[in-house]
Amino acid sequence: MLNFETTVQDSKSYGDLTLSEVEPILKINLRSNKREFSTKIGKLLSIIPPIEANTSSSNEDYSILWLSPDEWLIYSNNKISYEQQNLLEENLFKNISNMNQGSVTNVTDHWVMINLKGFKIYDLLSKSSPYDFKNFKMKKGSVAQTLLNHTDVILHNIDDNNLNLFVRRSFSEDLWLWINDSARFL
Amino acid sequence: MFIINCPYCGERDQTEFSSGGEAHIVRPKQPTELSDDEWAEFLFMRKNIKGIQFERWNHSHGCRKWFNVVRDTSNDKIHAVYKMGEKPPANK
Repeated sequence: MLNFETTVQDSKSYGDLTLSEVEPILKINLRSNKREFSTKIGKLLSIIPPIEANTSSSNEDYSILWLSPDEWLIYSNNKISYEQQNLLEENLFKNISNMNQGSVTNVTDHWVMINLKGFKIYDLLSKSSPYDFKNFKMKKGSVAQTLLNHTDVILHNIDDNNLNLFVRRSFSEDLWLWINDSARFL
Repeated sequence: MFIINCPYCGERDQTEFSSGGEAHIVRPKQPTELSDDEWAEFLFMRKNIKGIQFERWNHSHGCRKWFNVVRDTSNDKIHAVYKMGEKPPANK
């Protein structure tokens, strides 16, 4: 049984900076190096996994983030119920994993998604990240896997001064506390 | 601290990477025929030179891929980066 209990229960605002956890969101990890994999995903979700590094592709319902040359993360742009999530996972599993086209893993319980909004989000992230956000913030849809306060995170630039941050559930409380603590001093 | 140009993700800070030690060490084809000293030589002994060294690195906090780096250990200058399975660049 997946554990969906989250430690981040609230939404906070500091000036124009808003932090909030978004759930329930579907998150699925895909791995494949097969040639037909992209067309299969295209047929199933009407979206093609990006080949270019540090980018993403999106449609109305889903976003696919590039994680490495043979790994992607799908997440739903809108909240969807666990029943719908299971249906989609089953459909992907049947068409990808069972057909030997790659692996499909439901990581909904593994990642916690926090939405950060506001003019100062990059000031906040730069406080404890070795990543250079210069190009990231200019390009909508950019993806970065990096460290934030010594914790692994995935960042997805969804709009100007608006990004989704994925952190592992077991680290989410620690990072949430650090983000709030740092945001107070911006 | 130095910047490493990951062949998959691009330029990133060294803190995102883990060093995997010396590269291009070939595993003996018949390990059972080796003496203990020869096996220890393969398993443990590394050059650790001052100067240009061929190393393996892993982008552990990024794409989690392994690759090779040609690094001058005396000043951390990186001369080349190439993917696993590729031949090391000549004249390094």
